[in-house]
Amino acid sequence: MLPAVVFVGATVVYPLLYSVLQSFYDVGLREVIQGGAQWVGLDNYIDQFSRSRFWYSGFISIVYAASSVALTFAIGLGLALLLRRDFRGRNVMRALILVAWVLPTVVSANVWRWLLDGSYGLLNALLRALEFLEGDLFWLGQQVTAIAAVVFATAWSFAPFAMILLSAGLQGIPKGLYEAARIDGASPWQQFRFVTLPQLRPVSLAALLLIFIYTFKTFDTIFLMTAGGPGGATATLPVYAYNEAFEFSRFDTASVATTVLMIVPIALSVAYFRTLRKETAA
Amino acid sequence: MTRKRTFRRTAVALTAVSATVSLAACGGLGSGTDGGGDDGDGVVTFWHYYGDPHGVPLEAMLARYTEETGVEVEPRFIPYDDFNRTLQQQAAAGDLPDVALINAFDTSQMAQAGVIEDLSAYADEWGEQDAYYETGWETGQVDGATYGIPHLADDYALYYNEEILAEAGVEVPTTWDEMEAAAAAIAESGAASYGLAMSGIEGAEGATGVLLRTLAAGGDLADFGGDPGVAALESLQRMTASGGMSEGFLTWNEDDAMASFTNGEAGMAINSASAVNVVRENAPDMTWNVAPLPADATEATYLSAENLTIGAGSGDADAAWDLIEWMQQPSVLEEYLPERNKLPARDDVPGAVTDPVRAVFADQLVNSWAPTGDLAEKSNEALTIVQQALQAVISGSAAPADAAAEAQAAIDEALGN
Repeated sequence: MLPAVVFVGATVVYPLLYSVLQSFYDVGLREVIQGGAQWVGLDNYIDQFSRSRFWYSGFISIVYAASSVALTFAIGLGLALLLRRDFRGRNVMRALILVAWVLPTVVSANVWRWLLDGSYGLLNALLRALEFLEGDLFWLGQQVTAIAAVVFATAWSFAPFAMILLSAGLQGIPKGLYEAARIDGASPWQQFRFVTLPQLRPVSLAALLLIFIYTFKTFDTIFLMTAGGPGGATATLPVYAYNEAFEFSRFDTASVATTVLMIVPIALSVAYFRTLRKETAA
Repeated sequence: MTRKRTFRRTAVALTAVSATVSLAACGGLGSGTDGGGDDGDGVVTFWHYYGDPHGVPLEAMLARYTEETGVEVEPRFIPYDDFNRTLQQQAAAGDLPDVALINAFDTSQMAQAGVIEDLSAYADEWGEQDAYYETGWETGQVDGATYGIPHLADDYALYYNEEILAEAGVEVPTTWDEMEAAAAAIAESGAASYGLAMSGIEGAEGATGVLLRTLAAGGDLADFGGDPGVAALESLQRMTASGGMSEGFLTWNEDDAMASFTNGEAGMAINSASAVNVVRENAPDMTWNVAPLPADATEATYLSAENLTIGAGSGDADAAWDLIEWMQQPSVLEEYLPERNKLPARDDVPGAVTDPVRAVFADQLVNSWAPTGDLAEKSNEALTIVQQALQAVISGSAAPADAAAEAQAAIDEALGN
């Protein structure tokens, strides 16, 4: 028991509390190195909460995470349903899909950057060949398309993870339920709507929560694809915190951002476990 | 029963939390470490961020020093993106190198934070500051003291493709008005897709082009909101509107911009001398040359430089200084700089620049601009703010005057004005 406590204390609890605590001090580069940081109470929070860029980062984090979760879940569910059927090459296909999940982000994000380049990117070459596009279109250079691009890239890499969770859930649904539904004359859509979806609910909730937590804190994909641009359009809270700390050496306000970043998933997890407990009790 | 157990668990957790909090409070936020490097083992540790191939001539130079003097030098390469963070972490842990080769613009910040030593006593005794280009030397000065000795220099100039310019029937532009016309003419003639390529990517890197345009109009980074800054934003806006520049430059870093020059998509590009070898390697058949940047009110270019510094608390400070002094001897620089593809930071090294292309960059060094004083410490942030203004203007979400005014307010706040 003691080694576990020491380990968790040293690697999780201490850094976490240190980071939260840092948000109540006046910490620049000098203070990090020489110490002597002053306690400033809530000043850093008041400062950050009065900045529109901070709120925008929070807002775009939620937009990014929510859209990524929705798209990841939809693609993951589609893939799981597809791979539930028995067909030749199913295992090969499953392995291929998993490549997206195991590919290092630095590779996939740069591939996306090249694919989406306005002048020499593959996507535009395709669109030009199909005569949908003339000239150049810089997907990562415009706010809305840049947000859509990072959401898509994120969903692409997380969908296999959703697929695995949901496949496991699908396997757990008793075959008898479908037989009973068929006997009652349920169409394939009705079987999906009234058997598959309700049966998948517990797994789905867990999957949604996990994917939300992963995407809400995603830094690498966005930073590599857009560096938070254009004009801060994709600067989610992790990117905002990175810039505050490592570009501008404001470790205190960066800690405000990371603290907020931590509270949202924790609140969601608590809500999730509450629901779970209620459902188990019921 | 459950409630009692929950209570007990909460109590344990709270005790653990408060213990850790008090630990954290005395661990680093409240008090501090006294810095300090190694304790004088006679080996000079040397940290730099020159990856392949740039690190090869540097480490060869350090090996020559060991050969000549018998003093052992231990170089360590840390990638640029991790360099400052590693230095800061090591400073907090009290384990700094004897010599750190840092980005010149970070000198002030590192000095203020106590990461590097005051070298004034050494430098005064040495007495060679007059040999250096003023702007470069100034980057090593913090509150009247010397913290960094310039290692080498680089600046920005205009790369142009001779064939594309001839095909479009334009001369090498010498003012920004001529640049706008030339860029548009190249795109219109079809000699290349775009006239001019530069980086405009999110962050400080993407502000170089608009800063150079602002400097040419007589402005400065600290007063970006003034007329020169507005004129610069308007100029780049006109160039993207005319097709003279690709609006994709907002997604290009300097390598991307150079790639569009070497593959013939752009007729001209703005970059530093370090790209000379890249163009030679990637486009061996292209006929191209380099010219000074367009000039209006001033002929300013942007300095890119590195400084030699000594880590705070170094036990081998004297040996470290001897190495720095040796590295800056004109005879040593004449051997090192051509291999390193860079320019000397001092003007008494005539043999260091024999290449005519590189000479164009060297001739501009005397006009180079670099942030100094308070602006040096906040230059990264100020440049990031300027890039945001550029982005807002090019994407059409703000008028140049409004974007410049907003940028000025943000720069003032960053500088504490």
